[in-house]
Amino acid sequence: MGTRKDRNLKNNEKKEDKGREKVEKRKKKKRVETSSEQESSEEEETRGVQETKPEVWSPEELEKLKEAVDERKKLISTLRGKPLPMRKKLQTLRESQEFVEKYEGALGKGKGRKLYAYKVMMLKKWMKFQRDFENFKTACIPWEMKIKEIESHFGSSVASYFIFLRWMYGINMILFGLTFGLVMVPEALMGRPYGSMPRKTVPRAEAANAMDFAVLWDFGGYAQYSVLFYGFYNNQRTIGWLKYRLPLSYFLVGVGTVAYSYMVVIRTMARNANQDGGGDDNSFNFSWKMFTSWDYLIGNPETADNKFASITTSFKEAILEEQESQKDDNIHLTRFLRVLANFLVLCCLAGSGYLIYFVVRRSQKFALEGLERHSWWETNEVNMVMSLLGMFCPMLFDVISKLENYHPRIALQWQLGRIFALFLGNLYTFIIALMDEINLKREEEEVVKLNMTLWEATLYNGTLEVNGTAPPITAHPADIPRGPCWETMVGQEFVRLIVSDTMTTYVMLLFGDFLRAVLVRFLNYCWCWDLEAGFPSYSEFDVSGNVLGLIFNQGMIWMGAFYAPCLPALNVLRLHVSMYLQCWAVMCCNVPQERVFKASGSNNFYMAMLLVILFLSTLPAIYTIVSIPPSFDCGPFSGKSRMFDVIQETLESDFPAWFGKVFSYASNPGLVLPFILLMVLAIYYLQSTSKSYKQANLELKKKLQTQNEENKKKNKLAALKAAMDLEEARNAGSDSPRHERDKTSPQQCHRGERGEKRGLGNRVYQGKHGHLEIPPAIQLPAPRGHLPGPLPGNQSAPRVQRVHNSKRHRE
Amino acid sequence: MVSGAIALAFLPLVLTFIIRYRYYFVLFYRAVLVRIWYDCKTGLTREERAFQYVLTHATPGDPESIMETFDLWCSSVEFISNIGPKKGKIMDRILSENSPLTVLELGSHCGYSTVRIARALPLGARLYSVEMDAKNAAIAEKVIRLAGFDDDMVELIVSPSDEVIPKLRSEYGLERLDFVFMDHWKKCYRNDLQALEGSGLLGKGSVVLADNILFPGAPKFLKHIRKSGLYEWKIHRATLEYSKGIRDGMAELVYLGIK
Repeated sequence: MGTRKDRNLKNNEKKEDKGREKVEKRKKKKRVETSSEQESSEEEETRGVQETKPEVWSPEELEKLKEAVDERKKLISTLRGKPLPMRKKLQTLRESQEFVEKYEGALGKGKGRKLYAYKVMMLKKWMKFQRDFENFKTACIPWEMKIKEIESHFGSSVASYFIFLRWMYGINMILFGLTFGLVMVPEALMGRPYGSMPRKTVPRAEAANAMDFAVLWDFGGYAQYSVLFYGFYNNQRTIGWLKYRLPLSYFLVGVGTVAYSYMVVIRTMARNANQDGGGDDNSFNFSWKMFTSWDYLIGNPETADNKFASITTSFKEAILEEQESQKDDNIHLTRFLRVLANFLVLCCLAGSGYLIYFVVRRSQKFALEGLERHSWWETNEVNMVMSLLGMFCPMLFDVISKLENYHPRIALQWQLGRIFALFLGNLYTFIIALMDEINLKREEEEVVKLNMTLWEATLYNGTLEVNGTAPPITAHPADIPRGPCWETMVGQEFVRLIVSDTMTTYVMLLFGDFLRAVLVRFLNYCWCWDLEAGFPSYSEFDVSGNVLGLIFNQGMIWMGAFYAPCLPALNVLRLHVSMYLQCWAVMCCNVPQERVFKASGSNNFYMAMLLVILFLSTLPAIYTIVSIPPSFDCGPFSGKSRMFDVIQETLESDFPAWFGKVFSYASNPGLVLPFILLMVLAIYYLQSTSKSYKQANLELKKKLQTQNEENKKKNKLAALKAAMDLEEARNAGSDSPRHERDKTSPQQCHRGERGEKRGLGNRVYQGKHGHLEIPPAIQLPAPRGHLPGPLPGNQSAPRVQRVHNSKRHRE
Repeated sequence: MVSGAIALAFLPLVLTFIIRYRYYFVLFYRAVLVRIWYDCKTGLTREERAFQYVLTHATPGDPESIMETFDLWCSSVEFISNIGPKKGKIMDRILSENSPLTVLELGSHCGYSTVRIARALPLGARLYSVEMDAKNAAIAEKVIRLAGFDDDMVELIVSPSDEVIPKLRSEYGLERLDFVFMDHWKKCYRNDLQALEGSGLLGKGSVVLADNILFPGAPKFLKHIRKSGLYEWKIHRATLEYSKGIRDGMAELVYLGIK
C-alpha cells in the first residue's frame, strides 16, 4: 500500500500523458489494486481485456483499446519534446512501443481484423525495408566512409575539399561518358580503320620510333594518330551501317559538355544559395562564436584540442579586434605595409608572367630548330615552369600576406584572389602562346597545300599514260604529304599540360608531404630539437590551394576537350587516383590545421570561382571554333570553311526543307534581338522580385527578434511577480502569527497587483531586491529570469532555455 | 642540362623559405657559425669568452650588472641559451610569489640563471645547482662568486642530473624541494621529473619550472604532465631568448601530491 501511494505521488505530475502506460505497468506486475476506486476499475477492465480472447471483445472494449493505442502512438511521436529525463524517456518509449506492437494487430472488427493485422505487418516490413534501403543508399555513395573519417580527424573544411573532389569526379564521369560513348567508340567501331587514310596513318618519317615509350608518353606517334585526338576523325557525313553522323555528333558533344557544365554549376550554386538563408553574420558576433563554433563531426582528440585552441584564440582575437576598433593605432604604417605587400605580390605576378612568356618564346624557337636536338628538360620547360610557379608562388604570397595584418578570413580571400590571378595569368599566357603557334601552323598549312598540288601533279604525270581516265592515287597513305593539323597540336599541348600538372602534384605530395613526414617522424629520435612540434613539423592540408588547383585543372579540361576527346577520360583517371592518394596522404602525413575555418560558407565561393573559370575557359575555345577555319586534311570538319557549318549542312540535307526555312527565319536578327530583349527583361524582373523577397525575409526576421525580446521581457516580469507573490505570502505567513493582524496580507497583495500593473514599479522592485532574495523554489518556473545577464543573441536564447529545462528536471 | 628558367621557377620557393624561417637562419648563424669562427680564432670555449667579457665589463658583487652584461653579450656578440631577460621576469614573478626556501636548479650552464634565482630568494634560502660539464661548472662557480653569493647560499653540484636526484635526500639531507628549475638537456626533462616524483622530494605546492619546452621542445615531458594528473600546470608563452620570432614557452607546474 505504502509503496503504491509513493509511486502514485511520484507519477502524479505526468499523469496526463502517461495514464495508460501506468495501467499497463501495473497490469504486467499483476498486482491487485485497492487504493483508488477509479483506477482499480480501469485496471480490472484492461486486465479483462488481456485475459479474454480477442474474439470475444465487446465493441466498447475495442473502442477503448483503440483509444489507448492511439494515445500511445501520439505519445511516441511527441515524446522527444517532453521535459523528461533521458532514462525515463527511453523507458516510456520502450513500454509504449511494446504496447502498440501487441495490440495494434488485434484491432479491427470481425473479418477485417485479420486484414488489418496483415496490413500493419506489411507496413512495418515496408518501413524496415525503407530504412534498410536508406542505409544501402548511404553505403553506395562512393568514398563516403573515407570522407567521414577524414572529417572526424580534420574538421569539415578539409572534408569539404574531398566532397568537392567527389562532385567534380561525378561531373567528369558524365563528360567522359558523353565523349566516350558518342564520339570515341563510334569512330573506333564504325569509322575507317587505322592506315586507310593519310590522317589515320603515322607518316613515314615518324614510323620508325612511333611506338617508343618516350614518344607515346609525349602523346606523339601512335597516340597522336588515334581516336584520342581531333586529327584522327574523318569528315565522312555518316559512318557505318547505322548512318551515324559523326561530325555532327562531335560538334554537339563539344557544345553539350560545356552547356551541361554550365547548367550543373549554376544549379548547384542556386541550391547552395537557398541553403544560406541570408542571415546577417555581423550583429551577434560573440554569441555566434559562443554557441556555434564547435564542429560536432570531430572525432579525434588531437583535432578536438586544436579546435578548442582555435576557438579560444578566435575569442581572444575577436575581443582584441573589438577593442582595437574602438581606438585606431598607427593607420599609416598599416596602410603602407598593405600597399607594400600588394606591390610585392604584383612584382611576383609580373615576374612569373614574364618567365612563362620567355619560356614559351624559347620553346617556339626550339620547335623551329627541331625538338630532337634539345634535352628533355628543354622540351618540357613550359609545363615544368608553369607547374612549379603555380606551386611555389602561393607560398610566397602567404608569407607576404603576413605583412598586411588582416583578419584571417579577409586574408584568406586575398590569398585566394591572388592565387586566382596567378593561375589565370599563367593560363592565359599559355593560351596566347598557343594562338601564336596556331598562326604559325596555319602559315605552314598554306605552304603544304601548295606543295600538295605540285606533288599530285608529279604523281599524275607519272601515271597518266598508264591509266587513261580517272587518276587514282596509288601511293601508300603514309607517304602522302599532309598539313600540320593545328587542332591536334592544341589538344596535345593540353594533354601534356594536364599530365605534367598531375605528375608535379603527385611528386609534391610524395616529397613535400610523405618524405617530410617520414623524416620528421624517424629523425626525431636522434635530433637535437623537437622536429614534430618545432621547425619542420608535419605539413598541414592546404585546402584553398588544392581547391584552386582542382578548379584550374577543370578549366583546362573544358578548354581542351574539344580538340582532345581523351581529356575527360584522363581527368577521370586523375581524379580517381587523386582521391585515393590524397585521402591516404592526408591521413598518413598531415596534421589538422591550427586555424580551422568554417567550410560551409566557402562552398559557394568555390562554385563562383568554378563558374568564372568555366566562362574564361570556354571563351578561347569558342573563339577558336568560330573564327579559325579548320585544317584542310584532318578532323571531322575538314573541307568546311568553319566548324559550325556542320549544323547548316545537317539542316539542309537531313531535315525537311520547311525546317531549314523556319530555322533561317528564327535566326533572323529581327527575331533574335526582341527575344534577347525579352530574356533580359525577364531576368531583370526575376532579380528584382527575389530582392524584394529577401527584403521581406529580413523584415520578418527582425520582427521575430523583437517579438522574442518582448517575450523575454514578459517572462521576466511574470517570474518576478511570482517570486514577489510568494515572498509576500511567506512574509504574511511569518508576520501574521507574530503580529496577529489580518490587514497586512491584503495590503501586500495590493502592492503586488500594483507592481504588476506598472512595469516600471516592478523593475524598481527588482533592482531593490536583486536575485538573492528569490527563494529557490520559485526560481524554477522562470528559466530566463535568473540567467546571469541578457544574452547577446536571440537565436541562442531557445537553446539556452532548453538546456536549462532539462537541467531543472534532472534536479 | 636543367635550363635556367626551371631553376628560376624555384626562386619563389627559396624566397619563401628564407622569409618564413629567417629567425631560425639567424639563430643558426649566431649560435653555430659565429661560435665555430670564434672558437677557431681565440682557442677559448664560448663560455670562457662570455666570462671574460663579464669580468671586464660588469661590476663585481652586483647581480643586476652581471646579468645585464650577460644579456648584452648574448644579444649583440654571440648566442648562449640562457633564460634571458623576458622569461627571466616571469621566473622572478613566480619566485616572489612563492618565496621558496629550498631550490634545485638543473643545468646551471654559465651561472646566469643561478644568479637570477639566487638574487630573488628570501633570506635563509638555499639553492642547489646541478651542472654536468666540469668546465662550465667552473665558470658558473666563478660567475656566482663574482655576483657575491657564497657557499651557504648556493651549492654547485658537478654531476649529471639523473645521478644527483636519487642522492639528494641521502647525501645532501634534503627533505622537500620548494622550487625546481629545469634548463638542462631537454631529453632529460621527463626522466628527471619522474625521478623527482619517485624520490618524494616534491611536496604539495612545490613548483617546477621548465624552460624551452616549445623550442627546442620537450614533447615527452609535456605528454607526461598532461597524463600524470599530479600537477596543476600552465604554459607561459614567450619567445626564445635573444630572438624575436621563435616561439617558446615555460611550463609552470604546481605539484598537487598523490591522492
